[in-house]
Amino acid sequence: MKLFLNGQSLTLTDASGTRHDNVRPVRLFPLTEPRRWISIVGENGRELTCIEDPSLLDPEQRQVLEAAMAKRDFVPVIQRIITIQRASDGHDWHVETDRGSTAFRIETDESIQNLGGSRLVIIDKAGTRYLIPDITRLDRDSRRKLERYY
Amino acid sequence: MPHDLQDASTILLQHAESRLASGERIVAKLQTNLDWNLHFHAGLILLTNFRLMHLEVGVFHEWKLQDVENLVLEEMGATAALHLQTSASLAWHWRLTAGLLKDLESFITRFRELKGSSGLQQESGEDDEDDPFASETISEPKLASKPLLRLLGFSRPWIGLMLCGLGLTVASTGAGLIGPWLTMALVDDVLIPLQSATHEINTERVYRFTVGLLGAAVLTWMLKWATTYVVSRLAERVTSQMRRATFEHLQTLSLSYFNKKRTGDLISRIGSDTDNISLFISIHFIDFACDVLTIFFTAVVMFSINPVLALAALGPLPVVAWLVQWVRVRLRGGFAAASRAWSAMNSVLTDTIPGVRVVKAFAQEQREIERFRQQDQHIFDTNDRVNRTWSFFEPTIYFLTDIGLLVVWSVGAWCVAHEHTTVGVLTGFVLYVGKFYVRLDSMSRFVASAQRAASSAHRVFEILDVKPDMPVNKGTHQVGRLRGEIEFRGIKFRHGNRQIIRGFSLNIAPGEMIGLVGPSGAGKTTLINLVCRFFDVSEGSIIVDGNDLREIDVISYRQNLGLVLQEPYLFFGTISENIAYGRPNATRAEIIAAAKAARAHDFILKLADGYDSTVGERGQQLSGGERQRISIARALLVDPAILILDEATSSVDTETEREIQTALDHLVKGRTTIAIAHRLGTLRKANRLVVIENGLISEIGTHDTLLQRGGAYARLHAAMEDVNHA
Repeated sequence: MKLFLNGQSLTLTDASGTRHDNVRPVRLFPLTEPRRWISIVGENGRELTCIEDPSLLDPEQRQVLEAAMAKRDFVPVIQRIITIQRASDGHDWHVETDRGSTAFRIETDESIQNLGGSRLVIIDKAGTRYLIPDITRLDRDSRRKLERYY
Repeated sequence: MPHDLQDASTILLQHAESRLASGERIVAKLQTNLDWNLHFHAGLILLTNFRLMHLEVGVFHEWKLQDVENLVLEEMGATAALHLQTSASLAWHWRLTAGLLKDLESFITRFRELKGSSGLQQESGEDDEDDPFASETISEPKLASKPLLRLLGFSRPWIGLMLCGLGLTVASTGAGLIGPWLTMALVDDVLIPLQSATHEINTERVYRFTVGLLGAAVLTWMLKWATTYVVSRLAERVTSQMRRATFEHLQTLSLSYFNKKRTGDLISRIGSDTDNISLFISIHFIDFACDVLTIFFTAVVMFSINPVLALAALGPLPVVAWLVQWVRVRLRGGFAAASRAWSAMNSVLTDTIPGVRVVKAFAQEQREIERFRQQDQHIFDTNDRVNRTWSFFEPTIYFLTDIGLLVVWSVGAWCVAHEHTTVGVLTGFVLYVGKFYVRLDSMSRFVASAQRAASSAHRVFEILDVKPDMPVNKGTHQVGRLRGEIEFRGIKFRHGNRQIIRGFSLNIAPGEMIGLVGPSGAGKTTLINLVCRFFDVSEGSIIVDGNDLREIDVISYRQNLGLVLQEPYLFFGTISENIAYGRPNATRAEIIAAAKAARAHDFILKLADGYDSTVGERGQQLSGGERQRISIARALLVDPAILILDEATSSVDTETEREIQTALDHLVKGRTTIAIAHRLGTLRKANRLVVIENGLISEIGTHDTLLQRGGAYARLHAAMEDVNHA
């Protein structure tokens, strides 16, 4: 099994030597275990292979995989909550993330999910996921604001 | 059974016993409770080793045992008839209510045993067997005042906290009384002399009294703070303990309990009723203790200072006591009604919200709004009733306070005029009386809260007092991994008055797949419920791997079961949590493997959060087929020895059915499988098909042999073909 970049797209050669173009990596547990269990999915949406632990790949393969994943990944990590305001349907968040500051709206209280411990994921109206890896490590002010909604 | 009926039958029995010949023994007895015209009338049928006797008051018939050809039972809805056939003709009929059906059946069984053994004596006379279908019953009716005492039982683990709270209450109440006492001295020793200008102004004493008053205020404040803190902590712990105990107890109850209960009612008992109790303990109970103490202390202080004034001040007290009692009685019923109304409203919500699709599809929003409005109106009305009593009560207490003060002022004025007492003492008294009646007022509030808490506690204890009808601890035999051999030995099952399974015998070999076929209501799902031991059989037995199912520990048995239902229920949580429901410690690799085998992996991949995707309360975001595949993965992961498929594919389209079928083929391999299906194609892999009609087996065989026979199965098959080709 071998992964390589073919221009912009990822290509996989499987154990039998068959070549699959335009494959993409998919995390099976994107929230609870993002670093492991990466499925390589073909153009038809079917799984071709599943990599349980990418760290066991050889460095060059790993780099290809990680680059491919980095291109698709978009889970901003919330670092500071500037405001949360109640709106007519749901609430508006204004936050600072590792990818810059942004504003979004979430619809229901169920959009804030606890992933166990003090890890939270927030799903906005458009379906984007925002992560708070550890509530206790947010600053006091942000925690206060969060407390009123979660 | 009503007492008079019981008495009548006892008299009849005594009467019958007096007629017994020597060597004659009663083998079985049956009470009848209706006459020919279906009026209630007590009668008794006795079966002895010689004859059959029938007794009513003033009536006696007998038949020799050898003359009695047969006893035939006829079910007639709410009643049943017993026909006695002699060689000549139909000799007699009896009628009885369906409630006695079980007795009737065992009577007939005894009779057949007796006839079968051709009159040989059998040791089975008095039947005091415990009713295996004894429904969950409340152990004994509790008194209305008792629930509050039982609450104390829940606070036992925190006895230290309780005593601490009590001590603080006494201290803070005592501290509250220092103020008026100091005031009294202030007026008499400082202010009066000052006004009459006979003495020099004593600044030091004024200073001392003011500081003293401040100190008393600060002390009271701090002690009250501590009291409230300690007591609310206690209250939270007690109610949380109560909520948990109630939920834990609910989990031990059988399915039939939940079938009878409304979800909303249970929710409101665990939710709002325990909250009422918490409020009572944390706020009102402590207030009440304070009130009692204050009233007591105040009374003591007042009597010790001036008995005449004290007597005058306490004059209206009996009126208040009477009023409290009057209100208590009226409120008790009111609060119980309010709690019930609240439950009813919750039930409407739990009914309508999950069923919202049906509501909308049939455009019945207005009707649901009306249903809700009615329940809400009910709450409104019951609360109104309580408030009417209430609104009269509170102002009345205030009025009595004013009267009390008036009495103190006038008696006090007379006393001061006749120099029986001083102005300072009078001032102190007025302050004390004010405190006293404020307390009375708050005590009256306690009356309401106590009644509310009592009726709430009663509702919670009602759940706790339900005895599980299927004693989970009855079976103690621990089983590990079963081979999956199931034997039905002449099982019968009766639910209420309905006989659902009427005698079913079948041997299932380990690893065999049995398809259950038959019209709706034939008893297929009941049979499966019996195999899962959601209910116990009324007669006969189910033998699993050589053990009677009733002797096996339920939990260890169910760990061998895998269940896939027509409507897969997914819990709120992620997909991987749902798949691992039966084995929470499964590894991720196992979860993925199960999902792959269940053909669920590919669609899970397409979800934004993969296996971490949250599925809603009922898994709304997934299609029926997808939910079904997750529930198959869930069953696969526990690797059950016995697999039960109840219409697993009937709610999906043919394409999805094919997918699920492939998933199921994985699942049934090497397991004993019992599958119900209306689509006969689902059962193509079954080793044997069992056709059930009216709670009886009508045919057993493979698909081909059954088709050739041209019986019930062939008819079902033909009907299906018709539908498919239409």
